[in-house]
Amino acid sequence: MRRRRLILEQVSSIFIFLSAAAVLVLAMPSLLAAQKTALRLDGTPVDPFLEAAGKPVVLIFVRTDCPISNRYAPMIQRIGSEYSAKVNLWLVYPSRKTTAEQIRQHEREYSYKLPALRDPQHALVTLAQVQVTPEAAVFDGKHRLLYHGRIDDLYRDFGRARPTATTHELEDAVQAALSGKTPPPNTTGVGCFITDDE
Amino acid sequence: MTSSGRTVVACLLGLGSAAAAAYASHRGTAARQAVTPPIQQATFNRDIAPIVFRYCAPCHRPGEAGPFPLLTYTDVKARARQIVTVTSKRFMPPWLPEPQELRFADELRLSEEQIALIQKWVEEGAVEGDSANLPAAPQFVAGWQLGRPDEIVEAERPYTLPASGSDMYWNFIFRTPVDRTRWLKAIEIRPGDKRVVHHANVLVDRNQAARRMEAEPRAGFPGMELKIESETFDPDSHFLFWKPGTVPRPAPEGMSLRLDKDTDLVLNIHLQPSGKLEQIRPSLGLYFTEKPATQFPLLLQLENDKQLNIPPGDKRFLVTDEFTLPVDVDLLAIYPHAHYLGKDLQALAILPDGSSKTLIHIPEWNLNWQAIYYYADRVTLPRGTAISMRYIYDNSSGNPANPNDPPRQVVGGNRSRDEMAHLWLQVLPHAPPGSTLDPRMVLQEAMARHNIEKNPADFEARYNLAAMLQGRGAQDEAILNFEFAVRLRPQNGTANNALGASLLAAGRIDEALPYLYAALRAEPDNFDAHYNLANALVSQDKFLEAIEHYRAAIRLHPDDANAEANLGGALAETGSLSEAKMHFQRALQIDPNHKLARENLEQISSNPKNVQH
Repeated sequence: MRRRRLILEQVSSIFIFLSAAAVLVLAMPSLLAAQKTALRLDGTPVDPFLEAAGKPVVLIFVRTDCPISNRYAPMIQRIGSEYSAKVNLWLVYPSRKTTAEQIRQHEREYSYKLPALRDPQHALVTLAQVQVTPEAAVFDGKHRLLYHGRIDDLYRDFGRARPTATTHELEDAVQAALSGKTPPPNTTGVGCFITDDE
Repeated sequence: MTSSGRTVVACLLGLGSAAAAAYASHRGTAARQAVTPPIQQATFNRDIAPIVFRYCAPCHRPGEAGPFPLLTYTDVKARARQIVTVTSKRFMPPWLPEPQELRFADELRLSEEQIALIQKWVEEGAVEGDSANLPAAPQFVAGWQLGRPDEIVEAERPYTLPASGSDMYWNFIFRTPVDRTRWLKAIEIRPGDKRVVHHANVLVDRNQAARRMEAEPRAGFPGMELKIESETFDPDSHFLFWKPGTVPRPAPEGMSLRLDKDTDLVLNIHLQPSGKLEQIRPSLGLYFTEKPATQFPLLLQLENDKQLNIPPGDKRFLVTDEFTLPVDVDLLAIYPHAHYLGKDLQALAILPDGSSKTLIHIPEWNLNWQAIYYYADRVTLPRGTAISMRYIYDNSSGNPANPNDPPRQVVGGNRSRDEMAHLWLQVLPHAPPGSTLDPRMVLQEAMARHNIEKNPADFEARYNLAAMLQGRGAQDEAILNFEFAVRLRPQNGTANNALGASLLAAGRIDEALPYLYAALRAEPDNFDAHYNLANALVSQDKFLEAIEHYRAAIRLHPDDANAEANLGGALAETGSLSEAKMHFQRALQIDPNHKLARENLEQISSNPKNVQH
């Protein structure tokens, strides 16, 4: 990703920035895909967007050892089951060090029945623009990023959990992806920083 | 791979602000380094490890409450940004009080310099540094922190914590394993899974009163705040508390805790769902000492729950209480307590010379991190010192811990949705020179009078004041206060019995009888009421009725020597000498030193006509 950042830093107007980005994308889409890819737990590369076949894609980023993302497990599982027919939903483990076996065990422990991916190269982290676990990204049927950020507002800050959430950004965003309504504004979550793992 | 291509566009469009910010901060660092003389680069081994080892590692290691270990360079580097964030917000390490003149033991507060150093280290790339600078790794005791306990009691049944939902408070009752009175120098609490237990504390239940709260025997019961009734003046004077990272504090020399046969230990734990079902099965380690207590601290409580009536939206609702010490005390520890709306909690001592000391100030209260704070050195507070608490509550929607959305009126109470305004102080009171009174009684009496001043209809304060007056022989005033207590709760068996007993002790038998009968109507199984009523009936020569009540009392407490001896006496009066003899012998079996039973037995053997009560 370093090369693209360099270009961004040099541009001085939005227009140039956009065209520069477009040129870059045209020049090297397949190369990017080849270099950075998410993996199934069996180690094979996967592109969740190809699998989705026109359905909205929902990525939920979690870690095995992040207490806040673990506390969300029942809620994530519930949302996953509820929308499983209408969207393609994946649990994404962005940690570079977590093994497939650890993920399988984590899924068992927390009663997850959702398909899981490893994203050690942060290909999906970058696409989804997420910063912490747990955060979610919702892409519409054309795979445009509609929403990225917290699942809800259960946590206002570290150690400051409400008794129950009062907003439900992830579900609102999924609804928006299905109905074409306006998605909620992106709001960063409270949790464990993904970049710490680099 | 068209779909991938499209999503990459989305990525680049959105990347602008984040990338720009990242570069700005990098440039900023570079610029600072360019203009200021080069300062030493922060390294893990020299600068960060000492901080992490002391402040983080005690909890962030395997088996402890921290969700991940922080023991090595690799551990810490893998959480570098997290650590910068949580230390700069002072979420970690958890330490609520502001710095103050009176220091606490084991302060876990990072200085501004330490926080800045961590930040500098991460900004400079989280370098490991020279391994020669790395301090020795911290050594921790595995398992029981005070060594193998003399006795271990485990919860009979685990409690299953649901995977999701809000905080849960659960109580386990431990039957103590002692068959005689023992002295404890420490109780170590092992709360079960340390990652879901936020805190735990033990209450000493000398009357098995908590068992009444179990839906079925040995099931345990939910609830946040417990009130344990006690029949005698025997105040719990020790904080028995666990929070993450706690190593139990053995009681100071001479301050051991009495544990009797049949005493229950009630463990109250605060749990937070983890995302999966959790089985919680705590255990207690008991450490005995042969040395009985010679010094008797007391837990003083300031409170003003009655003032708690907080309108929705109120951001600064103030609750105060002030108590003036009737004796000199040494202050050992302090425990402020509020629920979710507590915001700014402060306690002050104003000394007789007019000077004042901050005892504690917590500007951002957080129930999750409540703790007992022990002073590094005992704080001497002379008689006449006014201790005041000043708690501010935030019942607005801006308070993220507010359990109600939208906020609603909140009053004082025991449930987690109610509020509390409590301040506990562990003090060691000193008797004034020449006084023979137990200084704890003097303090407790002053406390009860203070509570009655705040709330004349405070039943417990009235009752406790009367009981203490009775204890020190101030009978008339005791009777007045028991009468007040009975007027407040006419159906209360304990209060009716106490009033009856104090009238009986004053020789006012006719007046005593109706209260003793009332006590039994309220609580047919009240041992004391049966026993007292029987004694009253004996003094009116109503032996047959008295015998019935002694028998009822003995059915409730088969091991009471006094009831057996007096039953023997009443039986002898009615001429049932052989049966009387049997009960005198039974009393002596229970208590071989029972003087009355022995004398009556001798009497009955030599001269059956003359039996004393």
